[in-house]
Amino acid sequence: MHFLAPALLFGLLAAFLPWLVHLIGKRRAQPLRFAAMQLLLRSERRISARRRLREILLLVARTGVAAALPLIFARPFAERTTDLPVASLDPQSAVIVLDDSASMGRRAGLSTLFDRARDRARSLLRQFPSDVDLALLLASAGSSPKISELHPERVRVLEALESTVCSARPADYAGALRNASLILSGSTRPKRRIYLFTDLQAAGWESGTGLPAEGAPEVIIDDASGGTPWENRAVLDVGVVPAPEAGAGGIAVDAELADFSAAGVRGLGVSLKVDGVSVAKGFVDLAAGGRGHKRFLHRLTNEGSAHEVEVEIDGDGFRLDDHRLAHVELSRTLRVLIVNGDPRTTRNEDEPFFFAAALRNGLPSAVVTTKLPDDVSPESLYNVTLVALLNLAQPSEALAAALVRFVAAGGGLFISVGDRVDATAWNERMARLLPQPLGLPRTASALPGQHAGEIVDDRPAERLAPIDRSHPVLANFAEHGEGLVSARFFKYMLLEPAPETPERSVILRYESGAPAMVEKQVGKGRVMLLSTTVDREWTDLPIRTGFLPLVREAARRLVGVTSDDEAASLRAGEARTLVFAGDEQRLEVTRPDSSVWIGRREQTNPSRTILYSETDRLGTYHVRSVSPDGTVTARPEQDFVVNLDTRESNPARLDPSQRPDRIAVASPGAKPPKHRVELWHSLAAVMIGLLLCESLLTLRRRRH
Amino acid sequence: MSEGGKAAGEPARPGLLDPTELARLASLDLRARTIVEGAFSGMHRNLHPGTSVEFTEHREYAPGDEIRRIDWKAVGRADRYYVKRFEDETEMHTFLVLDASASMGYRRRGVSKFDYAGYLAGALAYLVGQQGDAAGLLLFAENVRSFLPPSTRPGQIREVFRLLEAAQPAGRTDAALALGHLGELTDKRSLIIFMSDLLDCEPDEPGGELRGPLPGRLRQLRARGHDVALFHLLDPDEVELPFDDLIFFEGMEPGDTRTLLAQAPDLAEAFKRESAAFRDRWREACLEASVEYRFARTDERPAEVLRAFLADRQRGVRL
Repeated sequence: MHFLAPALLFGLLAAFLPWLVHLIGKRRAQPLRFAAMQLLLRSERRISARRRLREILLLVARTGVAAALPLIFARPFAERTTDLPVASLDPQSAVIVLDDSASMGRRAGLSTLFDRARDRARSLLRQFPSDVDLALLLASAGSSPKISELHPERVRVLEALESTVCSARPADYAGALRNASLILSGSTRPKRRIYLFTDLQAAGWESGTGLPAEGAPEVIIDDASGGTPWENRAVLDVGVVPAPEAGAGGIAVDAELADFSAAGVRGLGVSLKVDGVSVAKGFVDLAAGGRGHKRFLHRLTNEGSAHEVEVEIDGDGFRLDDHRLAHVELSRTLRVLIVNGDPRTTRNEDEPFFFAAALRNGLPSAVVTTKLPDDVSPESLYNVTLVALLNLAQPSEALAAALVRFVAAGGGLFISVGDRVDATAWNERMARLLPQPLGLPRTASALPGQHAGEIVDDRPAERLAPIDRSHPVLANFAEHGEGLVSARFFKYMLLEPAPETPERSVILRYESGAPAMVEKQVGKGRVMLLSTTVDREWTDLPIRTGFLPLVREAARRLVGVTSDDEAASLRAGEARTLVFAGDEQRLEVTRPDSSVWIGRREQTNPSRTILYSETDRLGTYHVRSVSPDGTVTARPEQDFVVNLDTRESNPARLDPSQRPDRIAVASPGAKPPKHRVELWHSLAAVMIGLLLCESLLTLRRRRH
Repeated sequence: MSEGGKAAGEPARPGLLDPTELARLASLDLRARTIVEGAFSGMHRNLHPGTSVEFTEHREYAPGDEIRRIDWKAVGRADRYYVKRFEDETEMHTFLVLDASASMGYRRRGVSKFDYAGYLAGALAYLVGQQGDAAGLLLFAENVRSFLPPSTRPGQIREVFRLLEAAQPAGRTDAALALGHLGELTDKRSLIIFMSDLLDCEPDEPGGELRGPLPGRLRQLRARGHDVALFHLLDPDEVELPFDDLIFFEGMEPGDTRTLLAQAPDLAEAFKRESAAFRDRWREACLEASVEYRFARTDERPAEVLRAFLADRQRGVRL
């Protein structure tokens, strides 16, 4: 032990004061000749053990207090050898970057690497001298900075550090170091350093170091893994496709597995879980560093519902990548009935040719059936999720009634017009379903400008007005609607005016302002009306690049599916676009840990979408909507799963040549660095404890 | 008086003086009279309530005598009031046995235990003398220091007073030895009133039952037909240990080298319990030996103590 002010140790003589007082007190005791000595001595014998102990404790407590004061003022400290960076002992500006990426969550011994890194960061913070400015950042992609400005208050940084938890996001070292460098650029201190606590996994360094070429702060890396090799096995991907061979509701689950060890593994257990229940198990052999696949067939029940499919392998030290989720909705297996109202002998002149091709390519799982109007009966709608009436002259009354029931129950109806359409009959029989009554056909009169590279058609035509991407059907189109607005419309059907209602909305308009595509909510289902043909007779839209995504998104919306498989399965840290339907004002996302996020529709923002980005936990996220009257409705079509970024599973270490720090090489014979540990805090705590003891003992003695 | 007796701090009735006030009176004679007057206001004062029907003699009436015992025929003959005396009364001697060891001289406030015992003994002697009974006195410490055999001769009571006033507490205690002597000195059934603090009269480590020679002596006296009453006198300090400071306690009696340095408040609770247990042990021992036990603190009014004693005796109650 050493002292900053050893002269003050003379004050230790004060420790004798309680003893002096005790001795003087004894001498000053009043003598008394007492007759009942026998009783007195018996009493004394009875309590002497307790009394003496109390007296001794009291004396020790008082002596301790008297000795502690000068010791505290003498500022005692101890010197300890440390394996923390010696550079931390200098006055400096420092940014601590703590790697909270998923790979830091793997266990190494009794704790995780993240716990270890945080412990070392904490020790470093305590080791810093008092005149250091500090900031604290996290290294995972999309993480918010914990303390984004240099701050002299160490306690605040320590508190922020304690509140940090390991995320499931991938690492983005370039981003973290870039931000750290920016923070330090505002410092006037000569020494500016970044302390990075990480496992030195290669993943996350793909974008380089993020440091400026000149004037970059010094980077010091603390390797929490200690360089210990890490063997890992992971589920890299889970794909779910329809499997009709397994019967109704049959699915095939394909899992891609990887081994990152040097030895490989035989008989690795792979389980399939559906909605949390294990339904199948198999075994695979994986070669060292190799990949493998496992396919499960399973039959889902409760058609129309959403299911959580999970593939899990036997666990290792890194649990996060030992399982992977997929979100499956049976209703996504589109069963489309196309009613061909104008059959042609030449295939590419037939309207279903373009429409079915767009569906099959855009939604590979779609099951498309084409029928002629005479073959369609109300029973044909059974087990169908989408009906497309293409250039149908007029629906029979029975079919119209069946369609009303079908849509009201949640089915989707797509209508396109053409020369055969009898507007009057349609308006009569389908009045409840049509978004707008049909009017007269209109032939475009103007010849539009010719675009470079396009096939020239000399017929007069109209184009579409600029698109509104806030509509879910158009949300995935490029900003100016490339591939869509270039389409030309030689003829289209005018639609009769209809009162504005919340159920009806215009998706596309022609340049003239006439509606091109209109939708209407009917009961639980939707109807979409395209006021032109889906072959090349009235328009060249079917041969434009925008046709396929337009049909695909329209089909999804009509059957209540607004996202594709990719969007329903995110990687940790990725954002998810959620869509408000109808007049919904609020969406609730229930996270895997049961916490709930609430997104509100802003009145000033006409957009029907909202971005959800708190995907830092793996698992299934359930979406519910709340209507203005408070009705809460599950929105399984918006549910999604968050899986691990597969890069985090790869234990490959960063090549030393790519490290941004200078690896310190200890010179032989050099003494290990020491750091000073102040002891006066502990002494002060001891003194307070002794004072408390003294007070309690004195109080007890007075009571007796 | 029992422990439940009236405290010294209560307002005194006429004639009821507390020990400090009594100490201001000039002589023991006067003190004794005052105590007796206080004790007997409105009460019969016979120390020996007679049970025998064998008449022996007449005695001139004195205040306090029972009216029913006045011999009206004698009054008619002599025109003076005479009371009848019976065999039991005339045969009974009263021995006043006082502990005069140094421990009885303890006094911090008020009067010492020995002074207090003197007041009680003087009052009793006065009462006995007034009734024409024989009163004797025995003062002892480690051995018998004074012995005045019981007598009804004139001047006997004055002699008792003189001996009491002349005595000073000193020396060690050997109560058993003194009572042994007393047993040898009297062969007539007597009332023996024994006054002591009983300190150091029991073995150092008493069990649940009191052992030692003194209880044995008391049983012997009772076996010989003596009526024995024990006045256990303690100073308030010996009941409560009411000190606040660090005190160096020393033994009082010669050769007693026991000392103790202690914070008195630390010991007070344990001491109170020990003192109460000490008294309880003696009460039990007396009950077992059919000896009347009376405890008194030296801050209690002697007249009250005497009054309670006489009242209980008249009711035939022995505490």
